[in-house]
Amino acid sequence: MSWDIVYYRQADGRVPVDGFLTGCPVKVRARLLAVLDDVADAPPPQFSGGGRWEATHGTMRGYYEVRAQGPGREQFRLFCILENAEPEELRRRGLSGPAIAVLSGMRKRWMTTFTEADYRRVRRLGNEYLATTPRRVAE
Amino acid sequence: MTTYHRRRVAAEMEDPEFRFEYERTRRELAQVNAVIRALDELRDEAGWSKAELARQIGKNDASVRRLFTAEVNPELRTVAAMAAALGAEIRIVSRRRARRESRRSAAVA
Repeated sequence: MSWDIVYYRQADGRVPVDGFLTGCPVKVRARLLAVLDDVADAPPPQFSGGGRWEATHGTMRGYYEVRAQGPGREQFRLFCILENAEPEELRRRGLSGPAIAVLSGMRKRWMTTFTEADYRRVRRLGNEYLATTPRRVAE
Repeated sequence: MTTYHRRRVAAEMEDPEFRFEYERTRRELAQVNAVIRALDELRDEAGWSKAELARQIGKNDASVRRLFTAEVNPELRTVAAMAAALGAEIRIVSRRRARRESRRSAAVA
């Protein structure tokens, strides 16, 4: 069964990933959304995403990223959290089933790394998202 | 719940450049997924745990477990080593060549 894909919506109504996606080159946007749909169609623990969907580690443990490369080898990432629990718990969270919650995206030049401050911003969004029940998602 | 995402993708699909790249990427992902799932099926048929397969190719079991659950990008070398350990091999099949050969056989028949 496919999972849902939901986009985190902040208290002020902004959807962080929307702005990020809109700023991506069209081909990159197509790749990122294709990977998301691929993973949602064959969700974990099945193998999906063709290697462009990966669990992040270290301080970003518990998060997942969709990876795509753009012109000049620029790197694009979407950061996500998996929502999977008993049906009753998912209902409590306002979800109709297991879901991939997309928080935000970031881009970086080839062979560079995101800073800890970059990751902190992602985690702040993740914490905000998880702290709200039912979840606040774009509709 | 998916409605917002679905609406976004549906709107983007109106752009031929987006549609082409989206569909191309889905096809590419499907092929990688098929290779890894086929290896997992062979592992299952062989009655090997992921840890056993890892031992056979000299990797630690966590890395093989992560590979089968899409948590890491599969390296071709690891995929080839797993295939060999399971008595299989990785092949590239040229669709164009296969079509040509199929036409040739039909003409001979």
